[in-house]
Amino acid sequence: MSAVAIIGTGQTRHASRRDDVSQPELVREAAEAALADAAVGPDEVDAVLLANMELFEGRALPELWAGAGAFAAGKPCMKVATGGTSGTSGCIAAFHQVAAGLFDLVLVVGFEKHSEGHSQTGMALTDPFWDRAVASGALGNFALSISQYVAERGATAEQAALVAVKARRNAARNPHAHLRMGDLTVEEVLSSRMLADPVRLLDMCPQSDGACAIVVASAAAARRRSRRPAWVLAAETRHEQPYIGDIDRRLVTMRTLRDAARVAYRRAGIGDPLTDLDVAEIYEPVSYAELAWYEALGFCADGDAGRLVEEGVTGMEGELPVNPSGGVLSSNPVGASGVIRVAEAALQIHGRGGERQVEGARLALATGYGVYAWADAVVLGAEAGAT
Amino acid sequence: MRAGDRPAVAIAGVGQAGPVAADSRSIPEMVLAAVEEALADAAIGFDGVEAVVTASVDLFDGLTASNVAITEVVGAVMRPETRIAGDGLCAAIHGACELRAGACETVLAVAHGKASMAPHWALTEWAMDPVFLQPLGIDFLVCAGLQACALAQGDGGATERWAELAARRAAAGDAAIAPPRSAAEILASPVLASPLRRGMAAPLGDGACAVVLRAAAGGPGEAPVRIAGAGWDLEPHSPGERDLARWHGLERACARAGLDRTDPGLELAEPSCLFAHEEELFRAAAGIGEEAPLSPGGGLFAGTAPHVAGLSRLIACARAIRDGAARRALAHGAWGPAGQAHAVAVLEAW
Repeated sequence: MSAVAIIGTGQTRHASRRDDVSQPELVREAAEAALADAAVGPDEVDAVLLANMELFEGRALPELWAGAGAFAAGKPCMKVATGGTSGTSGCIAAFHQVAAGLFDLVLVVGFEKHSEGHSQTGMALTDPFWDRAVASGALGNFALSISQYVAERGATAEQAALVAVKARRNAARNPHAHLRMGDLTVEEVLSSRMLADPVRLLDMCPQSDGACAIVVASAAAARRRSRRPAWVLAAETRHEQPYIGDIDRRLVTMRTLRDAARVAYRRAGIGDPLTDLDVAEIYEPVSYAELAWYEALGFCADGDAGRLVEEGVTGMEGELPVNPSGGVLSSNPVGASGVIRVAEAALQIHGRGGERQVEGARLALATGYGVYAWADAVVLGAEAGAT
Repeated sequence: MRAGDRPAVAIAGVGQAGPVAADSRSIPEMVLAAVEEALADAAIGFDGVEAVVTASVDLFDGLTASNVAITEVVGAVMRPETRIAGDGLCAAIHGACELRAGACETVLAVAHGKASMAPHWALTEWAMDPVFLQPLGIDFLVCAGLQACALAQGDGGATERWAELAARRAAAGDAAIAPPRSAAEILASPVLASPLRRGMAAPLGDGACAVVLRAAAGGPGEAPVRIAGAGWDLEPHSPGERDLARWHGLERACARAGLDRTDPGLELAEPSCLFAHEEELFRAAAGIGEEAPLSPGGGLFAGTAPHVAGLSRLIACARAIRDGAARRALAHGAWGPAGQAHAVAVLEAW
């Protein structure tokens, strides 16, 4: 793939309700911020890619209406919708359209306004014969697969609670985050309401209203316009069986993320991700998932994820800070969540992370997670790779 | 999308299920039939597919991330899949982008739609601006009526002309969904959205399309058709913000595809016209006169599944080029109210 970079990022304030804005206005808020960050005018944008899970709001083809918020009128515009990976896959689609030589500047905006719909109903529209009655929506299917993961790998509720605390404390340094809980304790997580064993309220991501945007540039445009582009070194997607019963030990193996990361590391020249990567923004919809992802992403051996979080290896001062932004556990506008991962990873390379900046970050990982077990892995670097 | 130092994109295989008024099979069964035909046409198996791009719309399928229903039958398990929520031609165009980007060498592009499951036009109301338009009961059909009104203004013979055109197109098709009718019968058919009558609209049904795209180093190889250009565009949403008498978005999409407005080399055009009057909008925007054959097989008037239309037009163009009926052809897809969004691909013999 010819060189492509991210030269600007922007996002809204994420909250449980953004009654102050419509969907196009929410999109505009993120789009304007990203364009301002990249010093790119709306008229200079060649094309727009949107990411959104329209059925969560009970709508169809929302880009037709909300596209104007992303300055898309009169421009080429497509929308990617693949559940939780919509945002990361939307970014990857933009990388490919730029690398194909079609465009120099593409604006990607992911958005979701959960408060205008009913997400559980949206997620319950899974296969009507097999999945709907068994494990519809996020919670039911997480409870099943987490139980299996805990039984096999020995992860504890305390270790999961440490992940939840890390996320919300990190979020306190992120002005955009929805759940900013700087004083949250493990005890509070462990005593929060049980939702579906073993998942408690504070183990789970919120549902947020929010949008996030990035500006993707060709190599020539990136060098001309940005002092420190975040170069795309690798971008991989893997989809998986739709029926949860068909996937062998889904969360335990997470073979999609494992394979996407393996290939992405190879393309980006990463040998040992824990030491080579400077920061990671991973899509962890539930505390236990972050532990499972550490293993799938090769940050540690299988069964060793709990130790990483106990020893603070993935904390802000650790060897590999994971989710300085607070992650999906702190902000989750689904269509935007993947774009947020990529934008936060780029922000770290840009050196513009403010209070959540990881000092000297030069190599960053962003991942996406969607549907039951779909995965994206994106590696960004301060230097263009030898693509 | 123009030629350059990047790989050329060949159409290596095509497959289609339907369109029929109501397919008794499930969506995955229908899609599998199209995919198997396309793979056989390309002489590859599922293991020959490196990446997949699908197109579908959740609300129309009644399924969140509705590509979950077809992950297995498009061969996307443990492979990259991108899903575009829009017209099927976008799947092929984005697949071509992946090939030109060098991300892979073989892409399967798939689109499906099943209009028999629900009243399609009623669902399109949920794609309209929910603040200013949806509360008025405006859907894509109403917008098509408004557009036809704009065209018919000061044009006394418009409805008769559209009735004759619709009759001609329907007669050229294989009447898979609706039997052909005369212009007089069409003018006497029930009003859909004034001045449009039922016979002036393409019949909607169920169908799926699949296309195998392959990166080619620069020679014709085993595939006789290549994608020489592509472009797409989104117009402002509200009909009030647009000149309804023109498809400006299609003009821009054609320009991006490298088409001159009076391209003398086009020997075939396959537009996605769901209504007879849209053919006049298409001709004006794409600069196509009477000399180039347009929808010789009846176009969408032979029946179409919503949002599969554009990919079915690409297949029609590819087949015509393979058969030697044309050397250069324009495939078109449209979605949104009154042609808010357009995509085009220029196909050439190789």
